[in-house]
Amino acid sequence: MIATYALIVDTFREAFARRIFWGFFGCCTALLLFLIFILGIDVVEGSLATISIFGNTLPTTNVENLVPQTQSVIAMVLYFAGMALAVFASAGLVSAMFEQGRIELLLSKPVSRLHLLLGRYVGNLLVVSANILYLVIGSWIVFGVKTNIWGTGFPLSSLFTIFIFAVLLAVIVLVGVLWDSGAVAIMVTFAIMIVTPILAQKATLERLLSSEWSRDVVRVLYYVLPKTADVSVIIRHLILNQPVESWMPVWSTALFGAAVLGFGIWKFQRRSF
Amino acid sequence: MSEYAIETNGLTKIFRSGWSKRELRAVDEISIRVPKGSTYGLLGPNGAGKTTFVKMLLSCTHATSGTARVFGRDSREPDARRTIGYLPENHRFPTYMTGWGMLDFYGALSGLDASTRRKRIPEMLALVGLDERAHHLRLGKYSKGMLQRVGLAQALIHRPQLLILDEPSDGVDPVGRKHIREVLQNLEQQGVTIFLNSHLLAEVELFCREVAIIQRGKVALAGTVQELTQGSGYKVGSPAVPERLQTELRAGARAAQSVDGTVQFLYATREEANRAVDLLRANQCEIESLARTRSTLEEVFMKTVEEHAA
Repeated sequence: MIATYALIVDTFREAFARRIFWGFFGCCTALLLFLIFILGIDVVEGSLATISIFGNTLPTTNVENLVPQTQSVIAMVLYFAGMALAVFASAGLVSAMFEQGRIELLLSKPVSRLHLLLGRYVGNLLVVSANILYLVIGSWIVFGVKTNIWGTGFPLSSLFTIFIFAVLLAVIVLVGVLWDSGAVAIMVTFAIMIVTPILAQKATLERLLSSEWSRDVVRVLYYVLPKTADVSVIIRHLILNQPVESWMPVWSTALFGAAVLGFGIWKFQRRSF
Repeated sequence: MSEYAIETNGLTKIFRSGWSKRELRAVDEISIRVPKGSTYGLLGPNGAGKTTFVKMLLSCTHATSGTARVFGRDSREPDARRTIGYLPENHRFPTYMTGWGMLDFYGALSGLDASTRRKRIPEMLALVGLDERAHHLRLGKYSKGMLQRVGLAQALIHRPQLLILDEPSDGVDPVGRKHIREVLQNLEQQGVTIFLNSHLLAEVELFCREVAIIQRGKVALAGTVQELTQGSGYKVGSPAVPERLQTELRAGARAAQSVDGTVQFLYATREEANRAVDLLRANQCEIESLARTRSTLEEVFMKTVEEHAA
């Protein structure tokens, strides 16, 4: 327990020693300050609202539509741009652990390899989760106070964003264990983030492809790789209070994450430093 | 519990590289026993396999075959490492940590609770000679010598029974080296086993009781420093030896030299040395000195390495 806590605290210390996490935190704070001070929402006659930005009033609109729509925009920006930033910051954090002269000292302590790797994984996940929750819960409170709309979809969406980051972090850990390289980890993770939204257009791709084997390749890749685009659709549905058609993207992505993390742990256990 | 702090049996590490899977035997069936409470030096030229051997003791590197035990326990068990303090060569301590923070982190990984760490950290920093200004200074601002000292402090914080030090005085000035040596001597008196991996042969000779010389992954020579440096000859010194007698004594000697007015004759056997003494006394010459010759550890090391290289 002492060692676990020390590993997590150390990851926080190292994260904050890297300016990129402060940049992430700064962007979140800037957005929250914008919502608090610049964006003015006055609810008139129950469901109607006037919105002003920098004092310029926009046309009157339905507040019950406006708030979830704005929240879904914030959630999507966080899901794609915030995720890219978090991956960029975390790749260095994981590979730093495998530096020669540092890993030997960690391995010489009476702590199992599983424990060391999971300590860094959980620490990294908590750092990013704290930033995501800071922005989502912060903006949810601001919207709630200004409009008295307290839908649960938006705060719930942050859990899915954290979940997708946890899966991508498993990829970063595996690449780190295999090649000790933060740069390769960023490339592989970004490749997944770029390819999976394309694969999400499975039906269109199948129509465009001429051979059956190429269609099979698309199908296999779609089902094996994490479904980042499909999960983003689920997040939007949750925020807009619409029914979710299928939870398959969530559980299949979870399976991918568990398999990748498991493989990373197995390789780390067997590796000689 | 075992009577040995370290016990390896046929410990071997084979690295396979490239597509051809070319084999490199970094450590080749090394079997050594380091008694509890002893000071043991591991010597060898660069690439001899010393660091790989140490890493296998700590389970950083997995052995291809053979076993390594620490105080009778398989060194692969995390709990077996509870008794070990380790200072690696070319260490890379996290630069965002302060000296205090670093000891706090590695102390926690060694299983010390917060109140014990709070008590021991200032003790350890004082022990290795780091003043209070260094406590809250980031490691990125530390000099090489200060990093070695704080590294030694992290190896000692959990009061280990076995200390494995890889080039402990690397980058430390002579005053600092003497201080580190005193710290280690103090630990030796307390019964801590010290396993030293160093290129500084004079340092090993001064400090260690036993050594092993590794060459190409194998133990080329092992024994106590006293045994290994014990020469096979005898040195007889006498002032004012008449020229005629000098010629006679030189004839049976392996070598002769004049040092500060004293002529020293080197004989291969005790009988020859006794004969020389008899001859000198018969000619009323005084005996200035009579001693068994000793080699330095450096001479033993060079000879061993050259023999095995050939």
